[in-house]
Amino acid sequence: MNIWGKMLNIDRRWIFLGIGVVSIVPFFINFGMPVRTTREVESIYEYVDELGSDNAIFISFDFAPGTQAENMPMSVAVMRHAFYNDVPVFMTANYPLHHGMMLAAMDYVFNPTTEGFYEDVDFEDWRELREAGVTAKDELVEAWENQGNQLPDGATGWVFEGRDYAALGYAPVFSLVILGLTVSIETQYPVDAHGNSTGEMPMLQEHKSLREVDLALTSSGSGACVWWVTFAREKIGLPIAFGLTAVMATDYFPYLQSGQVIGQMGGLRGAAEYEVLLAENGITPSTDKAFVGMDVQSAAHLLIILLIVMGNIAFFAGGFHKKTLLKGGR
Amino acid sequence: MYETIGIWVGALFTLAIYSFLYKENPIYRLAEHLVVGISAGYGMAITYQITVKPRLIDPLLSGDHWILLIPGILGILYITRFIPRISWLSRYPIGFYMGTSMGVYFPLTMKANVLRQLEGAMVPLYQSGMAWYEVTGNIIMILGTLAALIYFFFSKPHKGLFFGTGSKIGIWVIMVGFGATFGFTVMGRISLLIGRIQYLLGDWLHVIE
Repeated sequence: MNIWGKMLNIDRRWIFLGIGVVSIVPFFINFGMPVRTTREVESIYEYVDELGSDNAIFISFDFAPGTQAENMPMSVAVMRHAFYNDVPVFMTANYPLHHGMMLAAMDYVFNPTTEGFYEDVDFEDWRELREAGVTAKDELVEAWENQGNQLPDGATGWVFEGRDYAALGYAPVFSLVILGLTVSIETQYPVDAHGNSTGEMPMLQEHKSLREVDLALTSSGSGACVWWVTFAREKIGLPIAFGLTAVMATDYFPYLQSGQVIGQMGGLRGAAEYEVLLAENGITPSTDKAFVGMDVQSAAHLLIILLIVMGNIAFFAGGFHKKTLLKGGR
Repeated sequence: MYETIGIWVGALFTLAIYSFLYKENPIYRLAEHLVVGISAGYGMAITYQITVKPRLIDPLLSGDHWILLIPGILGILYITRFIPRISWLSRYPIGFYMGTSMGVYFPLTMKANVLRQLEGAMVPLYQSGMAWYEVTGNIIMILGTLAALIYFFFSKPHKGLFFGTGSKIGIWVIMVGFGATFGFTVMGRISLLIGRIQYLLGDWLHVIE
């Protein structure tokens, strides 16, 4: 077998090794490849940025650990953006495994080791203030700090469970749950994932159903993202944003073209773009995990392109387009 | 302490799964089976803890919500599938679910996935004030959509100017779509690898931030 034949019949484990090496090196040698933002991601950012404490959004964690690397950064980015603008966030999950992803995202955003984290105040901890009618964010923060609570160093701000977020979590037959949410959030979720009564939450008193919500982001690793379009967008006109895995991205561009979604983040790249927008506008101190991964993406893509080019050169130079010398034949 | 143990378990099982890249082995098999088993177990536990108990058992025990007996019994009828003598009873919840789903899904799905998409494809080829790239984009989109539809029209032989040329253009359009999907798929798979490397080098070994 000549060199062209050997190239085409190379043991695939060498390719795995090559991908492994080029995926690790950029973590130590930062190339600093720029990430340009695209219109479909900017439109989500701009929409969320316009919202304030009178508005509310849903973030639906519709992904399992298998696509966590892609879906988690985009969910976290939008969550941090909403918290920065004091926009209340309802969090849901359409499958039991996705419920764990919702809790993991909250752990990350509230963890003091995360740069620019948010200090979480449990629902029970601010009961007295709530019962005294202090629920407006500014007044609440002032009253809370007057009680002797101090924002930890490095924290971006306070988030109050029931005022700034509600971890609603998983509910079965989620497509019908979305339909139910268009009528009442409380009937679909009488208690949240932590066992708190949602009826007592100030954010539910202000936003009783999806009709009083301004956006739903579905961070999805499956076709379930269309449920939000079908049951919320088409029924009550709720604006929807897609956060999808890269594999799904091309399949769902038609929803962008038809105007059924306001924007779409596709894979790690989409999440990195949102992180860039957050960092450029001072909403987060720096970019996060998705942006770091883009150097690795570029390096791995270069290697794959090189391998494809070399494979084609070997195929034609070795005359394999005329023969049947490849393993397995043609 | 528990977090450290969790990180070590996660890291070792990540390596166990990646050992498949060298060749299939018992450690990979063990990890694969555990993923399936633990996912099913976790799903069951979560479903019981945050759905069945608070939404069915607790309200029934409180004695106020007897109406919940109906969905409760319907749910239990699913399990009769495992008892051949009375397995026919499982048809009732399946029939109920299929019927209601069809009724609820059909109109809205038709609207979201067919009518709106048709509407989205009906764009003007040219209007005053449109930039040249918008006009070009619209022409390509409309011709591409028509050509791809012609390719999937099998009632006529793909011959002649309309069906023959149309289906040839159609297959090119479809191939471009597949190419874009393949590119995104590569990006997606590399992203998953990046996530695991960040976990191994960051959370586990602490050699990167």
